[in-house]
Amino acid sequence: MNRTFDRYGAVAFLAIGTLFVIESRKITTSAYGSNVGSDIFPFYLGIILVLLSIRLFYETFRYAKSKPGKEKEKLDYKRFFIIFGSAVLYAYFMEDIGYVISTFVFLLIGFQTMNRGKIWVSALIAAIFSYGLYYLFVEILKGTLPGFPSWLGLS
Amino acid sequence: MSTLDYLGHGFAVALQWHNLLFAFIGVLIGTAVGVLPGIGPMSGVALLIPVTASMTGGLSPEQAAISSIILLAGVYYGAMYGGSTTSILLNTPGESSSVVTTLDGYQMARKGRAGTALAISAIGSFAAGVVALVGLIFLAGPLSEIAIKFGPAEYFSLMILGLAAVSGLAGKSITKALIMTVFGLLLATIGIDSVSGVARFTYDIPVLYSGLEFLTIAVGLFALGEVIKTILERESNDGQLAKITRIMPTKQDLKDSAGPITRGSLLGFFIGILPGAGATMASFFSYIMEKKFSKHPEKFGQGTIEGVAAPESANNAAAGGAMIPMLTLGIPGSGTTAILMGALIMYNVQPGPLLFEEHPQVAWGLIASMFLGNLMLLILNMPLVKIFAKIIETPPKYLIPLIVAISVFGVYAVQYTTFDLMLLMACGVAGYFLARNDFPLAPLVLGLVLGPMIENNMRRALTISNGDYAIFLQKPISAVFLVAAVLWLVVPILMKRRGKKVLVNEEG
Repeated sequence: MNRTFDRYGAVAFLAIGTLFVIESRKITTSAYGSNVGSDIFPFYLGIILVLLSIRLFYETFRYAKSKPGKEKEKLDYKRFFIIFGSAVLYAYFMEDIGYVISTFVFLLIGFQTMNRGKIWVSALIAAIFSYGLYYLFVEILKGTLPGFPSWLGLS
Repeated sequence: MSTLDYLGHGFAVALQWHNLLFAFIGVLIGTAVGVLPGIGPMSGVALLIPVTASMTGGLSPEQAAISSIILLAGVYYGAMYGGSTTSILLNTPGESSSVVTTLDGYQMARKGRAGTALAISAIGSFAAGVVALVGLIFLAGPLSEIAIKFGPAEYFSLMILGLAAVSGLAGKSITKALIMTVFGLLLATIGIDSVSGVARFTYDIPVLYSGLEFLTIAVGLFALGEVIKTILERESNDGQLAKITRIMPTKQDLKDSAGPITRGSLLGFFIGILPGAGATMASFFSYIMEKKFSKHPEKFGQGTIEGVAAPESANNAAAGGAMIPMLTLGIPGSGTTAILMGALIMYNVQPGPLLFEEHPQVAWGLIASMFLGNLMLLILNMPLVKIFAKIIETPPKYLIPLIVAISVFGVYAVQYTTFDLMLLMACGVAGYFLARNDFPLAPLVLGLVLGPMIENNMRRALTISNGDYAIFLQKPISAVFLVAAVLWLVVPILMKRRGKKVLVNEEG
């Protein structure tokens, strides 16, 4: 049990619950042919969430003191930030630079961050995956994915 | 038409060549998912929804629904089977439902009987699949006939019971589980209200009008969450792979495990039907039960074949049993069935009592395909088990970025928006940190899937009663469900107070 996380979590859920309660008051309170409007369900759920988070906050005071030294695991934040950061950029720019190029770049960065070396193998797998999936999905299954950017003049 | 006629039709559907192919792909991928430590059945099924959606693009809506659900269910029980492979060979369970299998399975492997252990768990899984199939045939019809008489008030209370059961058993803290359930229900209210057409919590942002897509959240929480965990915590399998020598079990082995397989299958099936109690608990209970039944309880933990046969049959039977409340009542009892149900809803097939009337092809086709799929697993796994064992050696270097890329592809192929990709990333981070701090994720997904239905039934019931909340207690069946729901939450708390250990279901 991580007391700090649970406390912040309780406060966050308290805020979310309050927000839903306040905002649901702005929704119309009746529907056609019924005096039960679309505000009731989120309103009560919001109240329940508020009560539950208060309960969780109260529970955090009763946690046994965590034993020092046991919880400290070394987390690989550097690797996480590189891969996750590139994943976010990949998602954000996918529509602009197209599926094949963005996926290829992301996979290459991902493979190399996980374990440096064998760059040609990585590039080959990334290329096969990104173009293979694109070809399979767009050409054969007639799905839609962002193609190559127009300034490349490929299509 | 009688049940047997329906079942015949179901087999006719399941035996169509493309559905056989889908079932085959399903169990194959499922086994791989079970073997790979990074992805569990929940993320496996969630990841494959968009892939199947594009694969079935050319079929009519109902046919597409059948084929996809056949594939996805195949992944589910395939993963149940595959999970045992790593338990036995590596002493690291691929899924939480095969944790118990490590106790005796790995010991058997150390004695050079890895092949026998794998074969027995394949046979046990198959037997369990058959038991679950028979159970489904007998229970599905009557259950949906009862459920069809339920009014909105009864339905509302039944779903509350389902949510309470899952929250009461998920994870270490009931408070946290309930928070996640309510949060899931709240997230489901975002978007246009289906009854009145009023936009709720959308703030004029166009992408929010259709609501948060369940698929995006499920893939983010489960698949990306697990990927992030692997990246941060540097999980690796350094264990020594046990050698597989003899695969076919001897006559004595079969004789020894016949009883445990039967008992495990039956127990697992009934535990599977109960909402909240999934495959993990089924395997635990059956192991404990076998130990009590056995004439040599001291042999358990030292590599006895009964200790592998019972839990492995139980977890597969539970996977089949869990289908029953999902199909007949429309109430998924676990995270994985919630995702399967979400997939059915995406195809406009609403699970519930009407499913067997409106879409008998889907319901019975799925039931029949589960039988065929289990048969395929049995045939596949006996000779190919050595190849599957090789999958464990897939370097995470390639696996992790590829899972991210498949998640992104899957979400984009269904939703076509960058917003959903960003939501996916956010859910991944949230999923990792929440799960790490014992906030269970399955109740959230369950709330998200059940939210609209609970709300509609609640409002229908309240409209009937003119806004009087007493209707939920005046209807006897509804009152019973609500009381049961309260008991389900209160009893574990009281038991904990008394200092008893409460078994929780980690798989969700």
